[in-house]
This record gives sequence, C-alpha cells and structure tokens, in this order.
Amino acid sequence: MEPRVIRFRLNGEWVRLSVMPNELLINVLREKLHLTGTKYWCGIGECGGCTVLLDGEPVLSCLTLAVDVDGRKVTTIEGLATGEDDLTPLQRAFIEEGAIQCGFCTPGFILTAQALLRENPNPTEEEIREYVRGNLCRCTGYVSIIRAVKRAASEAVKSRRPGPAAGAASG
Amino acid sequence: MSAEGRFRFVGVRVGRKDGVLKATGRATYAYDVWLPGMLHGRILKSPYAHAEVRVDATEAERMGAVVLTPRDVPDVLFNPRLVSVEEDTFKDWRVLTDHPRYVGEPVAAVAAASEEAAQRALEAVRLEPVRVYRPLLDPFEATRPGSPAIHERVMRGGAWVDVEDNVACTLEYSEGDVDRALSEADVVIERRFHTNRRYHLQPEPKVAVSRPDPDGGVTVWTTTQTVHNTKILISQVFGIPQSKVRVKKVFLGGGFGSSIHTNLVTLVAVALSRKARRPVRMALTREEDMMHDHVSFEMHMRIRAGAKRNGRLSGAEFENVMDIGAHQIQPYPLLGTALGWFVSLYKWGAIRYFGRAVYTNKVPSCALRGYGNPQVTWAVETVVDELAEELEMDPVEFRLKNYVGKGDLFWGQGPTVKSIIRSDGVPELMRRGAELIGWRNRPRPGEQTGRYRRGIGVARGFHTSGAGGPLSGSVIDYSGAFLKVNEDGSVDYVTALQDHGGGTLDAHAKIIAEELCIPLEKVNVVWSDSSTTVYDVCTHASRGVYVGGEAARRAAREVKRKILEYAVRILNVAVGPEALRMRYDEELKDAVIYVEGSDAQTTLSEVARTAWQRNWGSISASVSFRATAAPPSFTAYFVEVEVDTETGRVRPVRVVAGADIGTVINPELAEGQVQGGFVMGWGWAVLEDTPYNPETGALENMGFITDYKVPTAGDIPPIEDFRVIFADTYEPTGPFGAKGIGEAASNPVAAAVANAIYDAIGIRFYELPITPERILRALRERERQGRESAQERGGGLS
Ligand code: FES
Ligand code: FES
Repeated sequence: MEPRVIRFRLNGEWVRLSVMPNELLINVLREKLHLTGTKYWCGIGECGGCTVLLDGEPVLSCLTLAVDVDGRKVTTIEGLATGEDDLTPLQRAFIEEGAIQCGFCTPGFILTAQALLRENPNPTEEEIREYVRGNLCRCTGYVSIIRAVKRAASEAVKSRRPGPAAGAASG
Repeated sequence: MSAEGRFRFVGVRVGRKDGVLKATGRATYAYDVWLPGMLHGRILKSPYAHAEVRVDATEAERMGAVVLTPRDVPDVLFNPRLVSVEEDTFKDWRVLTDHPRYVGEPVAAVAAASEEAAQRALEAVRLEPVRVYRPLLDPFEATRPGSPAIHERVMRGGAWVDVEDNVACTLEYSEGDVDRALSEADVVIERRFHTNRRYHLQPEPKVAVSRPDPDGGVTVWTTTQTVHNTKILISQVFGIPQSKVRVKKVFLGGGFGSSIHTNLVTLVAVALSRKARRPVRMALTREEDMMHDHVSFEMHMRIRAGAKRNGRLSGAEFENVMDIGAHQIQPYPLLGTALGWFVSLYKWGAIRYFGRAVYTNKVPSCALRGYGNPQVTWAVETVVDELAEELEMDPVEFRLKNYVGKGDLFWGQGPTVKSIIRSDGVPELMRRGAELIGWRNRPRPGEQTGRYRRGIGVARGFHTSGAGGPLSGSVIDYSGAFLKVNEDGSVDYVTALQDHGGGTLDAHAKIIAEELCIPLEKVNVVWSDSSTTVYDVCTHASRGVYVGGEAARRAAREVKRKILEYAVRILNVAVGPEALRMRYDEELKDAVIYVEGSDAQTTLSEVARTAWQRNWGSISASVSFRATAAPPSFTAYFVEVEVDTETGRVRPVRVVAGADIGTVINPELAEGQVQGGFVMGWGWAVLEDTPYNPETGALENMGFITDYKVPTAGDIPPIEDFRVIFADTYEPTGPFGAKGIGEAASNPVAAAVANAIYDAIGIRFYELPITPERILRALRERERQGRESAQERGGGLS
C-alpha cells in the first residue's frame, strides 16, 4: 500500500495530508489532526457518535475512508463554534434544554440535527425521532434532545433568519 | 419542596457549566488523551472460558514490541474495587493471568509505536493451552459436586480462604418466625425470577493512558468513577507511594457503575508504560469492552411472601443466587445490599434471607445503575402486584399500606448501614401519578382482544443517597472539598468527585453560590487530579449531591466565616462577625456584607482584594465530610404500554415518572436523570441481555451494538406523554434539603413495564428481558392451553 496525498476543506480551511488508502476518516481526524470532538463508540457504524458532515450531509466517519473526502468539505463539531460567544442555536438549545449529560453523544447529535434542520427547517417530533434514530444516547432518554432540536428549529423560524444549519455547514 | 423562590440559585434552571465544552467538542475524555511519543498497547484476551495456558512471546519481542506476560506483572492478588473496608474485600484478580477464567480475561499485553504494529505483535504471541476446563455458565451447575473449581482459594483482606463448590461468598439473615408467619397468612405466593445479564454500554470504551514520571511515579488518565481509589490500587499493585501516583480527572463518557472499580486496562497500561519507560495508551474497542470486566449481576431469585386479609404483609422469604462471573468485584457487599433493597421496600413482617454468590466462567459482574436494586425491585414489585390481586386490593393502596416510609428504620445499603427515614414523598407521588395516568380506568388484566392491547402498570422503588450511617459499617463513604477565594472575590472549588453527566458538580456550584451569595459564574469548578484534591470515595450510590454537596456546603460555610472575620476589620464597626449578614446583590453581582440597621457595608470582592493588599492572607477551607445517613430517594412510575400480539413488540405509550429527591437543585438535569433512567430501564425490561455460547463459553453478541439492542429515539413515548413529577419534600439531613437521584430513576422501571404488560395481555413474565419472542411464545402457549382445556370440556360433555 502506498500513501496518498489528499486535500480537503476542514471546518472552512484547506488541509493537505498524506494518508494510507485504508485509513479511516475518524482516525485521521482524531489522531492526526487532534480533533477529538468526533467520538468513537463502536467503530462499525452502529452508534452515530462519530458523525461528521461531508458536503453538509451526515456521514459516519468510522465507515468513511479518508481518501474519499479528497476535494470535499468536512465539518466536525469543532467547526461550529469555538466557545460560549459563537454557539449555534442548536448548541445553545442543547445546553439550555439539558440535552447534554455525559456529552459523548453530543457532537454526533448536534451535527445530525444540523443536517436535519437544513433539509427540513421545521420538523415534527416524529421526523426528528426518525432522523436521529441512528444516534445512540445512553444518558438522556432522548426527550431533552428532541426538545432541543424543536427549540432550535422554532427559534430559527421565529427570528426569520436562515435555519441554524445554513452558516456553519457551508464552512 | 419546590426550591423556587426560597433559594436564589438552588432549584433554578441554568445551562450546565460544562455544557459549552461538551457542545463544542472541546471536553477532553480519557479516550482523547494523546501524549507525544506514546506507544499503543493491545491486550491478548483469553479465547478460553477456563484454561491454564503457556504464553510464548519471543516472536513479538523479536519484532521490537514491549511485551508483558503473566510473569512480568507484580505477583499481587487484588480486588479492583476499594469501596469496602479491607477485611470485607475478597481478592481474586491479577493484572495478567496464565489461568484465565473467562473468555476475554487479559493474559498478555504488548505495546508498539502504532496500534497496527501492536496488533501485529499481539498476533505473534503464542498461547498454548496446558489444560482446558469445561466452561461453567450457570450457578446451579457450578455448585454441583464434581464441577471444575474456578478458584481453589482467594484472599479475604490479608488471609487466604478456600472456595468450596465455586461459592464465592454467602449471607444469611432472619428476623422473626417466618414459618409461623407464612402458615398463618391468608394468602401466600411463591415465585422464581431470573434476570438478564446486562452490559453497561457506557458510551466511552475503557481506556487508559499512563506516563511514567522521572520520580519513579506515574501519571494516569483513565475512565474512572474515582480518581483516589484508582490511585490507591495502582500504588498497592505496583508498590509506588501514593504521592507519586497522579490520577487525572477527565470527563467520563458514561459510567453507570462500570468504573467504580479500576478497570483492568488501567493496570495494564501502567505495567506497560513502566516497562517501556514511555507513555502508553491502552484503548479498548467496543468488542473488547463488552468482554473486559463489567456487566450487571445476573440474579436468580425466589420470593415467598404472605399477607393477611386486612391487607398487611406478614412474612417473606427471599433467596438470592447471584451469577457473579469469574471474579469478585462487589458481590459480598451486594449480598447485604440486596437484602437491604428487599427489606426497605416493604414491611414484610418476619423475614428470612439466603444469599449466595457463585463463580461462573463469564465476564465478572459489577454495579450497573442501581447495584442489584432494579433486579430486586422487579421481583418484589411483581410479587406485591400479585398479592394485591389475590387480596382483591388496589395495587396502589396495597403498596401505600405496606411500604417503608417516614419514621421507619431504613437500611437500604444493607444491615450495617441503618438510619431513620425523615422525608417521604411516596403517598404524593402515588396519588398524583395514579391520577395523571388514569389509573382507575385502566383495563382489567387480559380482558382485551384484538391485535394491539394496552395496559397500565405501576411500580415503586427507591435508592439510597450514598452509603453513610451513624456507625462506620463496612462501606467507606466520605467526600472532600477544597474551596478558596481568589483575590477578586471569585471562588475556586477543587473536588475529586466525578460528574458523569448527571449534573453533580453543577449542583455543588449552586450550593456554594447559595451559601456565599455570589453569582454562579463566580464559582469555578477545578478539574485536577488525585494529588491536589481531598479524598472522595467514588461517584456511586447516588451520593454525589447528598454527600459531596454537603461537603461543598460545609467548605463554603467555613469560608464564609473567614470572610466575615475580615469584613469586621474593613467595616471598622464595634461588632463581631456574628453581627454581620450577607446577601446577594443583583446589580453588583456580588455578595454584600452588612450590619442590619446600619449603613455599614462592604462586598466580598472588596474583602478579597483588601485581604490580599493588606497581607491578611488567603481565605480558604478544606473539608472532609462523612454523612451519618443515606436517606432514600423514592420513585413511583406509572407506565402505559401497547403490546402487538402479532409481533410480540411492546411500545411505551405514556409514562408518569414520579421522583422524591427532596429539594430539586438542578430541575432540568434532574428531569434528565429521570427520563434517562426510564429509558435505560426500558432497555433492561424488554431488550438487553448478554447470552453465552454453551460450548465455547464465549459471549454470543460480542461487541455488536445491533446485537446488544438498546433503546433509540424511536423507542420512547411521545414527549408530551412522558411526564416527570417531583414530590414536594425536604430532606433535613441533605444540603438545602436535597437527596440523590441517579439510580432511583431507573430502579422500578422493569417492574412497572412488566406489570403493564400483564395488565395488557394477562401474562406474567419471570424472566428478563421480556422480548417479543418470549411474549409470542407465552401467547401461543396460552392459546394452546385454552384449546386443550376447551377440548377437555368438550370431551367431558359428549
Ligand atoms: S463510532 Fe462510528 S458509528 Fe459508532
Ligand atoms: S449524554 Fe451521554 S450518551 Fe448522550
């Protein structure tokens, strides 16, 4: 196996690095780029904890080859906000609704929910459940997570600004 | 009691303090720790359920890997959990062993520059079986004469004890004349129960990073619920002074009891890093985690209980055979605690208990959110439901008539930890819950027809808040808090206590803010390590708020006393500190210190600054606190389910989850505990189990989450039909009236669900989980019996 050089836009900035053809995106993000907000729970596509956005679509980084993101846009949780002052409405809603306990599922949920709100700015409860079904949470019982997504959606609609997904996912 | 209005910070909804870190992906968990120059470790796990093996690692060593075999680790027998006192601690573990007793037990370990290189080296380690034993996967088989001995002898404290018939430990207890009580009872029922063996599926797989330090010590980042006990164990196993073992506090991706004990990965990482003289990261995959060192206690229980026509319980026998797996973590204390769960639910009258913990060749058992309580509560709440039915009493009234409540002696944590109940919201929760769910109009068991059948069930439960008591029993239970006021009047709170996400440390911050009359933002919770914090036993037993919170409050009170002393000097009025008052000033966002009826006043920031500028010295306090009670937090759950009689699937339709946790310090986080507790309990009731292959003794659903089904967002009731209610109570011994919550939240769930299923289809289940397969089988069996008896009747007529 020969390493390959790939270039992709990560959280708004172009990065260039050499990877093996069988290297997984989750490992490149966590181990080479030290973006550890992308979480490993299972490594085999069953929990949603490692979700990142690829050109705005949620993908499981543990099932994505690094070479496949060549030339594309990747958004990880670190790309949404740097701290208290620039939180997205979804992040704020997760904090305020108590939708975060241990926090291990949080990055995956927030990114998945962001993709949902981009596709469907005003989802029903049923649509939210259906969309986030692939993301496991062992702590919250999902109630507060569904509430947080609803709240972020309704705040975005109220303020008549573009959906919360619009800004960051294009990054 | 509703805290609103009475307190400024306690009971107020504010986003959790660590929310921003977690929502932005900046929270560092042990899995995220990455040190320069570190090696990666891999563990060779036994493929045998029980064997003696020879390890040959020459090839792996030739490849340049750092290798550990059983000969390379300290020859020390230990118990990875240090919560019980030494003389009640059974020791039968080694870091690595050439006599593995379950599939997955660590036999050897390697470390190399990358995980791939380590894996290649691992594959080069040869394992030769010297002797292979028949796997024992059932406690009744294991105790049969002639079964292979899983352990010949183990240590209790510092002394050897022989193991007979694979019985790890036993406990018997009785009070009153049970035989007479039962023979005089009007109704007696006897039932056998068998629980599932649940896997925690905590989000973060077990991991440790160990760095050897130049002073001969180590610094360790790991998944733990207790940095101090991990420090002590590492010190004991490796003979390093505790002052040179630094266990760092990092975020924990869920614990649920799986890291009350120090996980084996931690010790393996320390051993590898000491040999390699380099930092080593030892991370498990999900598959490995599932067979590593934690699952729940699988219990086989028998209850025989009697009641009088007047609706009073009169006697009960409780037999508890626990399948503990291949090693002891805490079965011995659990034998007592399981009895505690049993006797603290109802006033049984006379009781007789027989508890026995049995070794099998399975993954070792430990606490899983409730420490045996959900198991016992499921059995008890089924029996109680059945007794009420026999007596033709309303199950709610029957429970209220017999439950252990205010003024009663309580020993939830077992016979060595007794205290009196002082706050009790059970009647309120039962009545309000019944009303909200429409209890009176529920269907009668089994009266429905049609494909979808609905039923409503009730169950109540409790958990202790910690394990304290007036006397020092066999459990270690105290917490430290260190508080200092900075030179601008903000406060640093240094605590060893782990917050797994339940909001424990948010509660502490609120308690401190309340006591010192300062805004919450000025309380900084410091994340440090075992060397800079005062001992805390562990975050377990729902003790974080009740015990740790009280330690924080006492430290704050001590600090307050010093603040007032300094304030006297500043105010320069002829009074002592006792004449001063403190209040929070919204405009100044500061604590104002004043003398009633005078203009003299100053602020906390002024005091702090002056103390600094005038060389008066710092204001700080360090406290170590032990609770003298472990009051019960009560829960009462009403659940409506729908059973699809064609597929056997059960769906929650409505839930009213009631909790009595005293003063609610963090409303949204406490609600989250209840919701999360319910959903976790739902999984135990209908989904989760870890079956073993009878031939190989290996787990059948090795590490695959789809194989080990847990609830998803699709499995919960519509959120407006998921009600959480809190009782209006105040616990006089708790900080600002608070009690615990984490475990009480899930303890009665399986029982409530099982009772609701019974209400829907008229069938009781005595084995968990109640899967669709089991429901279908039971429905078919009933149909068959119905046909047969119809035929018999038909035959009799002709
Ligand atoms: S880690 Fe990728 S789906 Fe679980
Ligand atoms: S908050 Fe812990 S897994 Fe979701």
